[in-house]
Amino acid sequence: MPSAIEVHGLTKHFGSVHAVENLSFEVDSGRVTGFLGPNGSGKTTTLRMLLGLVAVTSGTATFGGRTYEKLHKPTHHVGAVLEATSFHPSRRAEDHLKMVAIGAGIPLSRVDETLELVGLSDVARRRVGKFSLGMRQRLQLATALLGDPEILILDEPANGLDPQGIQWLRTFIRYQASIGRSILVSSHLLSEMEETVDDVVIVSEGRLVLQTTLADLAGRAGTSNGMRVRSPEIGRLTEILTATQVGFRPTAPDTIAIDGATPEWLGPVLAQNQIVVYELIHDRGSLEDVFLNLTQGFAATFPGATAGAGAGPGTPHAKPTPMPGGVS
Amino acid sequence: MIAIVRSEWLKLRTTAVPWVLAGIALLINGLLILVIYLNHDSNGGGFGGGGGGNSGSSVTTSVVSYPHTTQQLRNLVGSGFEGYLFALLLGVLCITTEFRHKTVTTAFLITPVRPIMVAGKLLMAAIGGAGLAIIMLVSSLVGGGLTLVGLGGSFSALLHQVPAVAPGMILVFILFAILGVGIGSLLTNQVAAIVVTLGWFIILEGILVSLVHGAAKWVPTGAAEAAANLTRNRGDLSLFLFNWWQGTLLMLAYGLVFALIGSMMLTRRDIT
Repeated sequence: MPSAIEVHGLTKHFGSVHAVENLSFEVDSGRVTGFLGPNGSGKTTTLRMLLGLVAVTSGTATFGGRTYEKLHKPTHHVGAVLEATSFHPSRRAEDHLKMVAIGAGIPLSRVDETLELVGLSDVARRRVGKFSLGMRQRLQLATALLGDPEILILDEPANGLDPQGIQWLRTFIRYQASIGRSILVSSHLLSEMEETVDDVVIVSEGRLVLQTTLADLAGRAGTSNGMRVRSPEIGRLTEILTATQVGFRPTAPDTIAIDGATPEWLGPVLAQNQIVVYELIHDRGSLEDVFLNLTQGFAATFPGATAGAGAGPGTPHAKPTPMPGGVS
Repeated sequence: MIAIVRSEWLKLRTTAVPWVLAGIALLINGLLILVIYLNHDSNGGGFGGGGGGNSGSSVTTSVVSYPHTTQQLRNLVGSGFEGYLFALLLGVLCITTEFRHKTVTTAFLITPVRPIMVAGKLLMAAIGGAGLAIIMLVSSLVGGGLTLVGLGGSFSALLHQVPAVAPGMILVFILFAILGVGIGSLLTNQVAAIVVTLGWFIILEGILVSLVHGAAKWVPTGAAEAAANLTRNRGDLSLFLFNWWQGTLLMLAYGLVFALIGSMMLTRRDIT
């Protein structure tokens, strides 16, 4: 699959601050790529280097081999949503879009089209200063779409949106991908994006932690964390477990957790011993857990931090923390 | 480039900046016109000459109670001349506002080669400066002209002086607007840019000229005064100033050199 965006050895130092360090990844055409990492992990700096707003210290960030500056009519190729604050408050939404359209050589008919697309037609004549954060985000999206670009770069577009807004954004992004656009969308919350993205690029402390597909990440998350059982016959169950040398820990007077156990293992045990069960809970690792493990674990391996789960600095393609226990 | 200038113009006119500046300039111009007439009244009938070579005529026609000499009429047409300060501010604001409201991010996404954006603003400011000069001239003709006619003077005599005043005044406004963009591209912090600009033109320049003999013709205001002599020669002042074209080139040099250095600084700047 051809790449829409290529980032090779990208590095940015602001004085002594190493915001981005030797970062490399690619964004495939026609897919939604989540650019994920905690706050301050260099996501915004990376996106701004891609867009030529921040000078690179070394490395390259290109679209089909060309830097943003070298693109002919860049807004016709790349649309960007960077922050919801970059509007003149006394300018009307419509005038903001007209100003961009005229400057970028885009037909003015696109102004109404994009306002319609993001659902702002009714407030087109309102001054942006009166807009809510969600409306500003939509206006940013309209701005990005003006030139009908094949690539969209969205920096934390869900920030400040209410749940309905986030739902709208997901649908919007999926729709943009379905009509063939390549989308790179950053977020500090995987949960915000897990229903939206096809691929993930995970960064921490300005370095790449992992680039993979969401399916692969979900596979790692699917690993069982264990089972929890609530039973009036909890004593009998613990005896059986002790006899078979399976570890467990009580979590309530009538409840125990069996780390690493699977339903396929526990079900037959309960049936064979005819134990009455009130509640049976399968603890799975969520995607967010995997994400947190990856990013925190990576951060923890740097000097000064206590040793934690995750990869060492020499292995950027980290494996997720192994699940404790292990019965199967 | 035409697209960028058009976009810049839309950018400018969809904010309050040009309208507030033009409004204040008009208000001040109205007051100045009033002062011209009040000044005359307090002189007790004889309309005092404006320092031109025609002062003799006002002595002989002391019964005339309105501006009538060539110099007096020219002063009335050009009563908005000091509005060049607003053309200067227009230039400063059209670039610093982008940084203040972070719209510069969008501007650089549209025009990633940053000196091109500065060039667009230089052109737009020049046009805006000319526009402001024309607004000032028209307001002087309307306000001053109506009063003149009301007092029994001749409007056509006033109109006759427009060709002598207008070209030089428009030129000066354009030059100051360009200088403003140059200053704004160097000092993108809006407050700093305004303080430095007003500080220089209202206070520091005057001090420098009074201290350093011969600096008058080199400072921007001196160069602009020279440029204003494009179509009228105010004999007394001209002794200390450059020719109009020398003054024009010097003013342009100030504006364009500032803009060039500013563009280079902007090109290296990280927009975070």
